[in-house]
Amino acid sequence: MIRTGITGIDEMLGSGIPKGTRVVFSLEPGVEGRMFMFRTVATVLQERKNVLIVAPHCTGRVLISECSELLNIDISGLEGEVHILDSTVRDTINSREKKTNSRKIAWKKLIRETLDRHSIDVLFIYFDLLYEDLGLEKALDLMPSAGQQDRITTVVEHLNLEGDSLIARFASERIFDLIISVHSAFTLVPFFNFFTLEYVSWSRMPRRSIPYTIGEGSIRLYIPKIIITGPPTSGKSTFVAHASESGISVDRGDLDGYRTTVAMDLGWLHFRGFDITIFGTPGQPRFDPIIPQIVKNAMGIILLLDATRPDGLLRARELLMLAHAEKLPLVIAVNKSDLPHHLDEKTIRESLNIRDDVPVFFISSLKQSDVHYVVESMVDRITRHPY
Amino acid sequence: MYIYKTGISVIDEVKGGISPGSNILVLAPAMSSGEKLGYSIMRPTPGEYALVLSTVMRSVDLLDFFSSEKFNRDSIGVIDAVTKLSTPDISDTAQIKYVSSPSDLTGIGIKFSSIVESIFNGEFPPSDQALFPPPIRFYIDSLTTLLMYRKLEVLYQFLHVMTSKLKKMEAIGIFIMNNESFDERTLSLMKQLMNVVIEVKSEQQGDFLRIRGVPGVSHDWMQFRIHAGTLELVT
Repeated sequence: MIRTGITGIDEMLGSGIPKGTRVVFSLEPGVEGRMFMFRTVATVLQERKNVLIVAPHCTGRVLISECSELLNIDISGLEGEVHILDSTVRDTINSREKKTNSRKIAWKKLIRETLDRHSIDVLFIYFDLLYEDLGLEKALDLMPSAGQQDRITTVVEHLNLEGDSLIARFASERIFDLIISVHSAFTLVPFFNFFTLEYVSWSRMPRRSIPYTIGEGSIRLYIPKIIITGPPTSGKSTFVAHASESGISVDRGDLDGYRTTVAMDLGWLHFRGFDITIFGTPGQPRFDPIIPQIVKNAMGIILLLDATRPDGLLRARELLMLAHAEKLPLVIAVNKSDLPHHLDEKTIRESLNIRDDVPVFFISSLKQSDVHYVVESMVDRITRHPY
Repeated sequence: MYIYKTGISVIDEVKGGISPGSNILVLAPAMSSGEKLGYSIMRPTPGEYALVLSTVMRSVDLLDFFSSEKFNRDSIGVIDAVTKLSTPDISDTAQIKYVSSPSDLTGIGIKFSSIVESIFNGEFPPSDQALFPPPIRFYIDSLTTLLMYRKLEVLYQFLHVMTSKLKKMEAIGIFIMNNESFDERTLSLMKQLMNVVIEVKSEQQGDFLRIRGVPGVSHDWMQFRIHAGTLELVT
């Protein structure tokens, strides 16, 4: 296996990329996606494997400098050997060979010789200028042939100016074994980057979109907002507290002697490679006006019910409507199920009129394992949701 | 809706300026004042920001030029596609981002987003007249150089994406191109992305401009001069 070194991606792929496969990182213009390639290069080199980088867009020194600037790692000083065919090679080939086919032959010969001479394990290709110089078919033909492919993994970075049609072609023609497209959600404000696992040849994996941030030389997958909502005393604050590594809760004692949330609960956790922020809403109707604001830009909703209080279903339904839950990934967690109760799944589904694919879990939010199971289901649903 | 002043009196007086999302193409022959005209349109007014992709001048020289022309340098970000060719190890600053060469469209797009994001996040010097979205003028100097490094179709697709982003951001784009270096097809394709085209010509009496694409503004040639970064029409 070849690891990308990106926590979350390797886990999703089943510990990395199988040897001999072809991978493409397809970048939308403007999105900081170079880290996917750079991080994979560095990880492969750290594992004492040899790499060849075909970088026709810049000199080798610039490439190493840019990699160093992003990762804080000098890739030329790592355990594996790094060889680079850079812009000077392109200039030489283009000035010597005038015909496209001759240029392709020159590139192919040079790449093959370098792969063999240095026992290269992974070939990295910056694709754009090769595509432009040679055309798509010929540029794709530069990737190792069937005989070499068993031992050489190929990773391609490509600036996708053609949009979904090119991705669809890559997938339908099985040109790559793994297709990851990298995008930014650019509305008025460039507010978040995300990547999509478009296709994986070695595993039956659904198409998934996952937001990420870049910091301290690495890619961090993140879910900026998961909402926990539910009727009063259903255990939302307890859920947030047990789900989170750190957090705050704004509670006050009410007239009945219960603690009640008066603004929101806020928790942070790092879970299965994701940085996640959880927001718990108040359950009391007097706070209803602020719920649409808390829910704004949420990526998923966990509705918490109290298994011992069937009378809370009406309020739960009001909260789902306030949160516009029909548009977002939704998970139902029925808390206090370790206590005697009569509330069953059928009643819940009928009362809330929820979709068949919305899971309903019976849990105790006092148990961290139950809480994490619900969060895991929520993360899974978020990453499958077509944003 | 925010309206951008162009500094060209006939546009600003008749239309009040140009709308967000507009793209202006300056077509100018070599050795004319076209480049300076482009910079005069790019010049940010108080409360605005500007972002320049320079494929011609090093950022250090460009900032000197802004100083000499009395531009507010603090509100201008630069994507420098020149310096790394000679100084590979140079690092980005908040205001200046470097790309490996004008052929590196991936890098240009990334650095563009990076500077825009820092402007939106208030990491550029905050303005006294804070507006949202922050008005941004994006200037590419020049399409001529980009077309020397990348094929027309590729550059067209790239600019199509960039101009869509400018529109979403409610910014404007200013692009300069040498109209003597390219055939009609190239010019025609580039014009498709634009709302306003300003042609420039140099004659013995001085420099002249002609404006297309602004309803109500004359299509006649008008003499102009640039003084301290500001454009004046000679009547």
